[in-house]
Amino acid sequence: MEGRPLTESEWIERARRGDASAFEELVRQHQEIAFRTAYLVVGDADEARDAAQDGFLRAHAALGRFRPGAEFRPWLLRIVANVARNRRRSASRRADLALRAFRDAASGDAAPSPEVLLLAEERRSELLAAINRLQVEDRLIITLRWFLELNEEEMAGVLDCPRGTVKSRLSRATARLRSVLGEAGDD
Amino acid sequence: MIDDLRTLDERLLDLGTSIAFPPTPPLSAMVADRLRQPVRRWGTARPIGRGLALAVAATVLLVGIAAAFGLGLGGLRLTFGPASFSPAPSLLVGPGLGEPTSLGEAREHVQFALRVPELAELDDPDLVYLADPPAGGAATLLYGERAGFPPDSRTGIGLIVTQFRADIGPELFEKLIDSGVRVTATEVNSGAAWWIAGGVHFFFYRDATGRVVETTVRLASDTLIWEEDGVTHRVEGAPSLADAIRVAESLR
Repeated sequence: MEGRPLTESEWIERARRGDASAFEELVRQHQEIAFRTAYLVVGDADEARDAAQDGFLRAHAALGRFRPGAEFRPWLLRIVANVARNRRRSASRRADLALRAFRDAASGDAAPSPEVLLLAEERRSELLAAINRLQVEDRLIITLRWFLELNEEEMAGVLDCPRGTVKSRLSRATARLRSVLGEAGDD
Repeated sequence: MIDDLRTLDERLLDLGTSIAFPPTPPLSAMVADRLRQPVRRWGTARPIGRGLALAVAATVLLVGIAAAFGLGLGGLRLTFGPASFSPAPSLLVGPGLGEPTSLGEAREHVQFALRVPELAELDDPDLVYLADPPAGGAATLLYGERAGFPPDSRTGIGLIVTQFRADIGPELFEKLIDSGVRVTATEVNSGAAWWIAGGVHFFFYRDATGRVVETTVRLASDTLIWEEDGVTHRVEGAPSLADAIRVAESLR
């Protein structure tokens, strides 16, 4: 037992018993995904920070209702997203997503040429520009799925819809993205 | 045109690794700070004149309003951070905040008998705000500095009184305990009341439709809360429980 890293369930149990440092550890483990989820919902870094913080505080207050053995991340993201959605209704700013200034070039023998890297960057820019032109709901579901790689349960929680609805909404959003890209509708 | 050799799925996954997300703030420290935050007391503040308090009321009162109630205030944002952060809160006013109004108009709008403290030192509220939702409306009376009610150093607010239709009960306060909040049972007009102090304050109540509402609003200071005739009342900013009860029992 001594020296063994605690499992998430053990951190949760400690936090449920009132161990503030255990909850702090849970926040540390999930703060990035929580913040990014909130950011994709509200589209503003300050709002996302506040939403994520509120979400964690709300989760702390609700730990007594968390079902032992359940997945913590979907539960947490649902709470954070709920706070973020409420904030989004009043948010007046929405920043477009942007690419990082420079991607780290791969190293080693297989490193692509600068021309190839430039071409790849142009294609990324084209795709991102298309995503930024989508309606908010389409853009959200696409970014949750591919940028944060949330699973269906997590997306359903963030979007506040049944899991079955996630698939159909994702399919429609992808079709619209293809349309913006000027592609044919099939793979 | 799409890259012939890669599916849209692969392109999107690749793109996800290139997105410039804003840096993740130190949420673990911020949340820990909020959970361990000591009680903030009124009265230790640097005194500021009533004129100044009122002059800046258009901005600073929002802290108090948010502290007073949370439902439907979608247009308001409070930025909280650890003590090392800039103390200046970021405030936004939006359409969900409610509207500044007069006492008379507030009385006409809300679906309950709006009452006002009748203490000699309070006189009329400096500002009245009306929000809807919650169902039935919510009225907030704001007072700047008054004798015996020193202004908060950050907000300039001496006292806040909020009323809205809702149902509260002791079972709803159980959820507060884990947040480091102290809830003390007391009485207002011989009816049950609670004095909420310390920690991160969450607020739970049943709204006029019977739904339990859980807000994430954190109160700016200790608060007396009670229900009378189906109306939830909150008095915030009084320097002591005795003062808060005095205000509460003067409502007419």
